[in-house]
Amino acid sequence: MDAVTIKNLSWKYEQSSGFLFENLNLSVPENTFLGIIGSNESGKTSLVSCIKGIIPNIETGIYKGEVSLFGKAVKDMDSDLIAQTAGMVFSDPDAQFTTMSVEEEIAFGLENIGVSVEEIRERIQWVSKLTHLENLLDKPPYDLSGGQKQRVAIAAVLATHPKIMILDEPTSMLDPKSKDEVFDILQQIKRELKMTIIVVEHNIEKIAELSDAVLLMNKGKIIRYEETRTFFSAVDLLKENGLKVPESIELIYYLYDKYGVDTTAPVKFNEIAAEIQRLLRLNEEAV
Amino acid sequence: MEDGNIIEVRDLKFTYDDGTTALEHIDFNVRCGDFVALIGQNGCGKTTLSKCLNGILKRTSGSIEINGINVNEKGVIKKLVRNIGYVFQNPDHQLFNSKVYEEIAYALHNIGLDDNEIDERVRHAAQIAGVSKEIFDEQPCMLVKGLRQRVAIASILSLRPKIIIVDEPTTGQDYRQSVEIMQFLCKLNEEGHTIIIITHEMDIVAQYAKRILVMKKGEIYMDGTPKEVFSQPDRLMEGYVKPPLVTRLAQLLHSDGRCNDALNIDELKAAL
Repeated sequence: MDAVTIKNLSWKYEQSSGFLFENLNLSVPENTFLGIIGSNESGKTSLVSCIKGIIPNIETGIYKGEVSLFGKAVKDMDSDLIAQTAGMVFSDPDAQFTTMSVEEEIAFGLENIGVSVEEIRERIQWVSKLTHLENLLDKPPYDLSGGQKQRVAIAAVLATHPKIMILDEPTSMLDPKSKDEVFDILQQIKRELKMTIIVVEHNIEKIAELSDAVLLMNKGKIIRYEETRTFFSAVDLLKENGLKVPESIELIYYLYDKYGVDTTAPVKFNEIAAEIQRLLRLNEEAV
Repeated sequence: MEDGNIIEVRDLKFTYDDGTTALEHIDFNVRCGDFVALIGQNGCGKTTLSKCLNGILKRTSGSIEINGINVNEKGVIKKLVRNIGYVFQNPDHQLFNSKVYEEIAYALHNIGLDDNEIDERVRHAAQIAGVSKEIFDEQPCMLVKGLRQRVAIASILSLRPKIIIVDEPTTGQDYRQSVEIMQFLCKLNEEGHTIIIITHEMDIVAQYAKRILVMKKGEIYMDGTPKEVFSQPDRLMEGYVKPPLVTRLAQLLHSDGRCNDALNIDELKAAL
């Protein structure tokens, strides 16, 4: 089943002069890890806002077409049902804390959707183990690093057991160590939980490592949406759209071209390194 | 001061009021016209060091000379701001005036320039920073992020400092915007400004910096050209710094005896 289906979606913010999206179509199969990339102001955040139902339920404007989650139109879902279907993590780690301890923060969303006290306790235990927050449950937000805060935000979303988790530039305000912490957790969630994960991210190298599929936006249009390896085979197209293609991917296609190999290259760093070594050895033997 | 140096730091130590020593045994010079990247893990002292350089923080011991000015002498601040400027990581921590023009002119009023000179400098700084005069009456905080960053830079440029420190110039910017900002800093560098960037983006460092200072636990841990610094991956790892992707790939392939210090894709292509 598709987790997200978008049919002929058009959207114009009330205050802007033209439509941002015109007849947009997209389907994301269940349990996909989807990376959404593109330059600033290209419509990435608006797209995930449509999936999360923030558009049109909170934002005002002109909305045509339909966005559905597991077959149900978001504009017909109440906020509780949306919260239990799709959770969202934002980029600013400071803006999302509403309570004074990690434990309360995780409990907050659960209380709002009416989970029992007993069940809340169990879920906190489960999710804090999963996100390695067991030792931080009593801590106030100001005692946490940026990476820890983002892990709390992820834990709070996971605790509500949503079928879809959306992360909008979850690492853009973090230092490299904290970035790695967040990506490691996402890697682990992908491995251990059955879940649809949608990440808007500028770090294309990490998107290549983690995603099952990648979507490129530019000026409100979906330029390319493919399974990850196929996605990155169009190096020139990505560059034309203002993206920095990881040099490892650029290099492997350069070598494929040089040695006349016509296939889709790997995109993960270690796999590319191994492939380059294999190619070079083959070539030396041929010589 | 030695000829050609614009910054001389000797045995600098800085201790915060709560007793935490943030900087110790800091010794280095910066040549006039250099392009330096200051890197290292969060909390290693990068920002504290730059705040000592421009006199926002007073050193505990040691000495700092900026273009011949002893930073810790009383009453040097007006001279100092014409020599060294600091652009904050988050432009919103810096912008506070109600109009773009006033933001760029603010420090010029403070150093007591007359209105004609202020006007000339504001227009010139805005032009260099790519802030068009059509937005002079707009509110800085209502502009898009890339433009807010430019206004912040223009407000420092108007002082015409010989040294410009930019803290995390590319955070939150997309690739195209990052390239634009870096090319702009290169242009200033070519015009003779000494540039110091504080950054976590190793691709940017590899591509633009002429010299790298790696900090670790309040000390200068490594000092050299990008090639010298990035060709020591083990040492860098101990300083919690990961070399750029190209260099890491080159090093992985090096076990085959191919190439070890490529800093960009073209060098790597050539080596294979």
